[in-house]
Amino acid sequence: MQLPQTVFLICFSISAVILLFMFIKAITRNPIDPSEAKGSKTKGIVYSITAGMSPLKKETANKHWPTYIAGISYHSGIFLGFFWIFIHLSNIPLVSLIYSFSRVIFIISVMCGMGILLKRIINKKLRYLSNPDDYISNALVTGFLTVSLLNLYTIDLKPLLFYYSAFLFLYIPIGKLKHAAYFILARIYLGLFYGKRGVWPLAKEK
Amino acid sequence: MAFSKRKVKKDKRLTENQKKGLDLLDEKLSGKLMTHLNSCVHCGLCGESCLYYLHYGDEKYLPGYKVDLISRIYRRYHTVTGKVIPGLVGAKDFDDDAIQEMIDVIYGGCTMCGRCSMHCSVGIDIAFLVRTARSMLAEMDLVPKGLQSTVDTAVKTGNNMGIPKEDYIDTLQWLEEDLQIEVDDPNASIPLDKKGSKIFYTLNPREPKFFPMSISAAAMIFYAAKESWTLSSHYYDVTNYAYYSGDDTIGALITDRLREEVEKIRAETLVLAECGHGPRAIRWEGPRWTQKKYPFKTITLVELIADYIRTDRIKLDPRKNKETVTLHDPCNLVRSGGVIEEQRYILKHAVTNFIEMYPNRENNFCCGGGGGQLSMGEYAERRMDVAQLKADQIRETGADIVVTPCHNCIDQLMEVNKDYELGVKVKTMAEIVADALVIE
Repeated sequence: MQLPQTVFLICFSISAVILLFMFIKAITRNPIDPSEAKGSKTKGIVYSITAGMSPLKKETANKHWPTYIAGISYHSGIFLGFFWIFIHLSNIPLVSLIYSFSRVIFIISVMCGMGILLKRIINKKLRYLSNPDDYISNALVTGFLTVSLLNLYTIDLKPLLFYYSAFLFLYIPIGKLKHAAYFILARIYLGLFYGKRGVWPLAKEK
Repeated sequence: MAFSKRKVKKDKRLTENQKKGLDLLDEKLSGKLMTHLNSCVHCGLCGESCLYYLHYGDEKYLPGYKVDLISRIYRRYHTVTGKVIPGLVGAKDFDDDAIQEMIDVIYGGCTMCGRCSMHCSVGIDIAFLVRTARSMLAEMDLVPKGLQSTVDTAVKTGNNMGIPKEDYIDTLQWLEEDLQIEVDDPNASIPLDKKGSKIFYTLNPREPKFFPMSISAAAMIFYAAKESWTLSSHYYDVTNYAYYSGDDTIGALITDRLREEVEKIRAETLVLAECGHGPRAIRWEGPRWTQKKYPFKTITLVELIADYIRTDRIKLDPRKNKETVTLHDPCNLVRSGGVIEEQRYILKHAVTNFIEMYPNRENNFCCGGGGGQLSMGEYAERRMDVAQLKADQIRETGADIVVTPCHNCIDQLMEVNKDYELGVKVKTMAEIVADALVIE
């Protein structure tokens, strides 16, 4: 294995161990809740990670369609980027159609990432909420998407992609990018809360 | 966790009181709390779900900012980055400025209605974080005076309005006489301390103090249903303002008092009177605070009335309520308590013209009086400002009557009615049902 890949794997492993540690801490030390359930905790959790995430159910999505779509596209690009790192590491050959499709997704997600960053810079409300990490995280991830995109045009950028990704993975546990480890748990805890109390699933879905 | 606690103890910049607040955060740091504290991405999309932000447009009321008021403290004392490079992640010292801002926004700029939690793009239980921040402030004796006084009165006298036992019993006696006349039955009663009753009924102390007719209404419903029920002369308060102040120890004390009273009466079911936070505190939070399961069933009056209708234990004639009626959903009962469809079921049987206000159910907006706001005179102006949203909602329905199964909401809506000149009547669920009762 070459140096860039090795560096990446080391950094990725460090990041994964820290995130796993955070995840384990986040599922422990929960006090017992002896209250009698009105609804189903399981159904609440299932709802929370499925229909409860529907943009039609959340004002944060359906009152902000452009931002929501940009966010979804941005995250699609991120997952695709991780997929490509795996492909590059394993040297699995892919058909050219996947390359073309990935380029389109990456172009869209880079634009979305830049748009989201620009919005954070120019929007007063977002500036009020933001700390340096918010800008850095956004810029870092958009950079990762850009390198991933360029890498699909030239093989020479592979080492850069691995080094960049190594740094990105090291940064994840430091700032807000660690929500990657907490997001699903937050949905589960919210589902538990509303499920037990009989709020979720909502009546129409019950 | 212990590592952070030792560091906090040695930190000479912190006062003893500030250390108390930080120690409490440390003690409460469960997996759930840690998850919600670490999940905000500062997307800022939550503003439209908050009635304070919608009214004022001030960024300090953004739910995401409320999250940050506590998470930045968490980051400072519980994360490596926050300890080493606090500026990078917006970690802040728990100093006087941070505390004053917390008091102003966490108590004075949030009703803990939880609407933002339901709409959060990630799924952060923001109301839970606000309640945790309140717990830190309560530990430091920084609860706003009016709210603390309500809690103290409940602890000292057994009810949050400090009603003397004799006055309470007098009120119930004349209400009983009224009931006998109303139903034309000299045996009709408002039972007190009747051991072995099936139902132990609670009251919001505002009822004996200001709204005795809602007690009459409930008594009439119990009479029509031929229910075995009782009130307690000793402990009957359905409220628990420690939920709002953030004090879990007092919350547990109040919970235990009610539990002991129900056990003394040997009732099968504790029925929680029309209130928002009370049923939430008793049914959902109390067992958690005391770490004890209730040995009896706990339901709300709304659920019980719906059950009476469903099982034909009471008969209603909706033609007795011909005016247009709309419903205000109390946040703690509905969004955080799962009592969502029962009140609609009741109204469909009790009135001829029921019209929803929008948004409703789990998406309802708070009336502005939640979160202990009615007790906090310091923020009364804000409370009435943010209620404009509710006033507009009511006005748009064109309703003559606003029904809500919560005495806290009733108080706020009566003020809203007056201040915003809505010209509506405000009623409890029991009152509208009693108006439609067919006594056989």
